[in-house]
Amino acid sequence: MVKLLVVDDEEEICDFLKCFFEEREFSVDTACSGFDALEKIAQVQPDVCLLDIKMPGIDGLQVLKEIKDKYPKVKVIMVTAIETTEKIEEAVRMGADNYITKPLSLEYLENDVRQKLASIA
Amino acid sequence: MINYSEALKNAARSMVRFKNPNNLLRMVVRFIARESNLTQASMLVYESSKQRYSFIDSKGKDRIPIHLVRIDLDHPLILWFLEKKDKLQILEGYFCLKKLKSFNRVKHSELSPQDLKEIEKIKELMISLNASLCIPCFYHEELLGILILGNKKTGEDFLEEEIQFFETLANDSAMTIKNAETQTELVKRNAELEEKLKENKVLRDKEQQTYYEIMLSLAQEVRMKDSSTFGHLEAVEKLGIMTAEELGLDLSGKKRVVLSASLRLHDVGKIGIPDSVLKKEGSLNEEEWSIMKEHVDKGVKILEPLTDFKEVSDIIRCHHENYDGSGYPRGIKGDEIPIESSIISVVDAFHAMISSRCYKKGFPLDFAINELETNKGKQFHPKVVDAFLNAFKKNMFAYYDSRIKKEIKSQNKPQDKIQS
Repeated sequence: MVKLLVVDDEEEICDFLKCFFEEREFSVDTACSGFDALEKIAQVQPDVCLLDIKMPGIDGLQVLKEIKDKYPKVKVIMVTAIETTEKIEEAVRMGADNYITKPLSLEYLENDVRQKLASIA
Repeated sequence: MINYSEALKNAARSMVRFKNPNNLLRMVVRFIARESNLTQASMLVYESSKQRYSFIDSKGKDRIPIHLVRIDLDHPLILWFLEKKDKLQILEGYFCLKKLKSFNRVKHSELSPQDLKEIEKIKELMISLNASLCIPCFYHEELLGILILGNKKTGEDFLEEEIQFFETLANDSAMTIKNAETQTELVKRNAELEEKLKENKVLRDKEQQTYYEIMLSLAQEVRMKDSSTFGHLEAVEKLGIMTAEELGLDLSGKKRVVLSASLRLHDVGKIGIPDSVLKKEGSLNEEEWSIMKEHVDKGVKILEPLTDFKEVSDIIRCHHENYDGSGYPRGIKGDEIPIESSIISVVDAFHAMISSRCYKKGFPLDFAINELETNKGKQFHPKVVDAFLNAFKKNMFAYYDSRIKKEIKSQNKPQDKIQS
């Protein structure tokens, strides 16, 4: 089963996306902070990570750096508010595989995740 | 179980209070989530600037993270509400997950494979959003929002009555959104109009001011042409205002300006009188007189564009009317003549007499005062004459007395020299 990690400091968003992707037969883990995320990545080694940028403590960019350093196979899609434009550019430079701004179209998100998975296979 | 008609009435009453439609929609969402005991209640609204539908609020245990999800205009949910209304009638105008799940595609052969595919997508979306009902908020043909509702916590199906209630609430919400929009637009348009009016008024005031100034210089010009007396208009203005004050006339605000303007502009119509008549030495014949008299109507005509001072031309129209009715152009009498016109008549005559360089008739001040007294009740309004003479003796006599004596002296001096 495809493994997905959702990282967002809003628990509601984690829960919602978990339900959404589980409904589509993904195995979904969630992390509510950057710290939590680093732990989960080591634990589950997801195929795709949906990663928020703005989080208290360790932010999305630091998590991204860690992933790209240690687990380069993990596809990372930044899921973030439009206000963080500069950070989005930085994330892309750091090797993020795509970015999607909130609010997002669920259909588009699903297609993008599937596309990234197809590129692994 | 809620009393739907009562709830609707309450909701409608509250809706009136909201000027910001977003607050209203939040209220509706909270109201439904609380009163109807649903797993969630949410509202999508159309954001015209971004061409998408996004969540304004979501409440309940299965609520939707409102900042995460949006619905694009090309999503089948929107397409069906906007473009496939006739087909939507099969589903009674709204989407109910339960009905979609038990949808019998064989029974509905009028639906194309594309339609069925789209219905499938709507179903998926509703499952993702924990929605069991999607009810459109229409204002006429505009889809302003969508009410998205979860299941009853009891697991029971919705009753027809309940769905009707939600539909009414959805459409009332749409109407209120539209009202608020219209109101915002009206307020904006009104502000723009007011701004324009203000600009116009400034321009107009400036125009009127310019015109007034042109009139004043015209009047000065006429005076220069008519007689060499310098400062006549200024003096007439001063004496006239003084008389009006003595009479106790109300000179507040614009009234003082109107009187001043009338005093200064009373002979502006003489600009249209040929020099041969205006400057003629000696008395005028009958024909010349009738030409001369036209200056009153000509003045009124010249002042017509000065709409801010309509009163000015009304006053000027009568400044050659006499108290006993012997004046022109209309021959009106007594109190039919505006008091301001009577003032002009008195002070203009008086100042002309004391300015005349002809001292044959004796000392000009005595002569002029005597002349006013004699013509009181004939040419001149008696009250105006009395007021004028009172004020003049109080305030101006000494000034004019010494000035005229000085003038006489300086006129005599060179003569003395010549003689000696």
